[in-house]
Amino acid sequence: MSDDTLRMLRDSAADFAKLDPVRVRRFRNAHPGFDRSVWQQMADMGWLGVLIPEAHQGMGLGIGAAVIIAEQLGRALYPEPYCASAMLATLSLLHGDSEELKQRYLPQLNAGKLVAGLAWQGEGGGLDVAQCGVLAREHDGKFVLEGKSRFVEIPDADAFIVSARTAHGLELHWIARDAAGLACTPEPRADGSASALLSFDRVIASAATRVASASCALPALKLAVDYAVVGASAELLGIMDSALALTLDYLRTRVQFGKAIGSFQALQHRAVDLYIQKELSRAALESASATLADPSCTTEQRAAAASSVKARASQAALAICNEALQMHGAIGFTDEYDLGLYLNRALVVSAWLGNASAHRRRYSSILEAA
Amino acid sequence: MSYGVTQEQEWNALSDEEFRALVRTEFETHHPRHLRFPPRRLRWAENGDWYLRMAAKGWIAPSWPREFGGMGLSPSKMLIFLEEQERCGIARFQDHGILMVGPVLIRFGTEAQRRRYLPPILACEEIWCQGYSEPNAGSDLASLRTEAAQEGDEFVIDGQKTWTTLAQDATHMFVLARSDKNAKKQEGISFLLLDIKAPGISVRPIRDIAGHEEFCEVFLDHVRTPASNLVGELNRGWTVAKSLLGFERIHIGSPKLPEYGLQVLRSVARQQGMLDDPVFRERLARLQLDVAHLGDIYGHFAAIVGRGEQLGPEVSLLKIWATETFQRIADLIIETAGDCGGHAGDVRMGDQSIDILAPFYKARPSTIYGGSNEIQRNILARQVLNLPG
Repeated sequence: MSDDTLRMLRDSAADFAKLDPVRVRRFRNAHPGFDRSVWQQMADMGWLGVLIPEAHQGMGLGIGAAVIIAEQLGRALYPEPYCASAMLATLSLLHGDSEELKQRYLPQLNAGKLVAGLAWQGEGGGLDVAQCGVLAREHDGKFVLEGKSRFVEIPDADAFIVSARTAHGLELHWIARDAAGLACTPEPRADGSASALLSFDRVIASAATRVASASCALPALKLAVDYAVVGASAELLGIMDSALALTLDYLRTRVQFGKAIGSFQALQHRAVDLYIQKELSRAALESASATLADPSCTTEQRAAAASSVKARASQAALAICNEALQMHGAIGFTDEYDLGLYLNRALVVSAWLGNASAHRRRYSSILEAA
Repeated sequence: MSYGVTQEQEWNALSDEEFRALVRTEFETHHPRHLRFPPRRLRWAENGDWYLRMAAKGWIAPSWPREFGGMGLSPSKMLIFLEEQERCGIARFQDHGILMVGPVLIRFGTEAQRRRYLPPILACEEIWCQGYSEPNAGSDLASLRTEAAQEGDEFVIDGQKTWTTLAQDATHMFVLARSDKNAKKQEGISFLLLDIKAPGISVRPIRDIAGHEEFCEVFLDHVRTPASNLVGELNRGWTVAKSLLGFERIHIGSPKLPEYGLQVLRSVARQQGMLDDPVFRERLARLQLDVAHLGDIYGHFAAIVGRGEQLGPEVSLLKIWATETFQRIADLIIETAGDCGGHAGDVRMGDQSIDILAPFYKARPSTIYGGSNEIQRNILARQVLNLPG
């Protein structure tokens, strides 16, 4: 992608995604948790297909474009599940081995007609894609799914791509939301959104629902997760950048003891430290995106890059939002003021797909194994 | 007359151990379990029965002198009472009548004011809230702008108070208001008592980022209060307000909240299988030591209060260390909870249901209220370290 294209995309994304705190608050504790018509607008701009190759009617722009979009959506606290559906779920379908299901569903995902969620973690969570909570027993030429999958974005998805363990290994299956035996329990989160706990009680799958067979499910999952981890990091960058800007503004204007509190050296130094963390996060994101975009990137390099940026961005976003609250004083703790929206969203996204600590551990394992 | 309250016995005649055992038994036996260690401030509807029980026993005002309806506890017995309360997870009575108005009237008030206001406080018939902070007077409280103009035998009050704890449950409010605009900041302020139902007062709850409504804005529009509701001298309200009692100043630095945080941290760690992880163990030990040493230093200041001596400005370090340690614990809880770290309310973890974010939402504002930690550091820097200002 040329610099010009990137800049144009950034401008149009920033132009589209403006913070609307009334809308953000309206979607708290709401089902569905996002606006399908906004999702449609994003589809119309081609955003849902930036990671889909042109061969499948996507834009094929790659990770560089996806993170630009994700950052702007994060900056404006958009509740639409870009990373979860357009990155995580879409990539797991794309890197599966069912041409039929790709032909059927990629266009619908791209066009914004379908929203899909990837169900890959067991009840205890964790970053090990081989650990899933769903078993698939063979019966009469079909599969019977039993078990639980947790921390699934998006509770309001039209369908789930489910990781399930068969006798042959891990497979991914496309399960419609209204499949018999599937129960979806929302688990509320700090920002008023919810993730889903899926319970599978003799849910039927088959060769026809198989998105990825045992020969490619693990690599597909690992890739999809790594890309979405980078996407989530971009979202965190947007969140922390906005929170810091709000705080700097406050420091410049709030007067106590006859002076703008931003003139106090102690606060200036603390603000600078936050700025440094934000800049480190941005640099880490650019580096990670470049690594993922490089065709010669190995799976280890990809995983290390993803963990590197998520560890940094998760830590920085929480540090910035917490310090922002302290610097604002009591007003920052009110719901009426917007800072809490950033803090609560940072809590959610920093924990999703592995928090800072989990990614430091993974980064270390990769480095030590090399 | 001790304001209609009779004490069962002379508490100070008991040994500390006897008194502690007696108090502990009462709390453990009679305090409702489901109200212990609440994740947020409780409303009168939730815990009113407990305080009515305390009032009936004569235990509602443990620090007040017996002749004014209190238990008349010595400083060391008072500390024991508070420790046992905290140990049982009993929320402190949010009533500023007990915490502030009573002690202030006992020290600065007229006999008429005591006769009018102490009995309903002791009976929990009147509940008080505190009107200090304003939108433009937070850390710089002395710059408050709410005005009190004397008109004949009344004061007329105009302005706005904010961050008033549980004003929704209060029947009365005390305010600091500017009664002399020409005097220096702290020297033109008066301490006034108000009926919250007086015409011109409107109370608006503030929703916080955790979704709770524990604080209110209070708008004062030409509110009239009799001149007899002035406490202490005119324009000397700052002195009245500053007379915070010794164990109130150290309460905010108590290790009990961080200790509770450590309990939650251990529960989460156990569910995540982290108690055997050496990295986690080291981090846990660091926090355990932070809390242990907080306890040591709290004990040092408590002993000063227990001897009836005055606390110096060094006590500010207690608030800083207690609140920031609690924050570090809350942050480690979130980190240890992993994929659950962004989940709200009671979260299923293994075989338990744990409110992972409750300590976080409690810890975050604690470095802001009660004198922000920045202000506390200023006090230490100027008055203890004698750094130039």
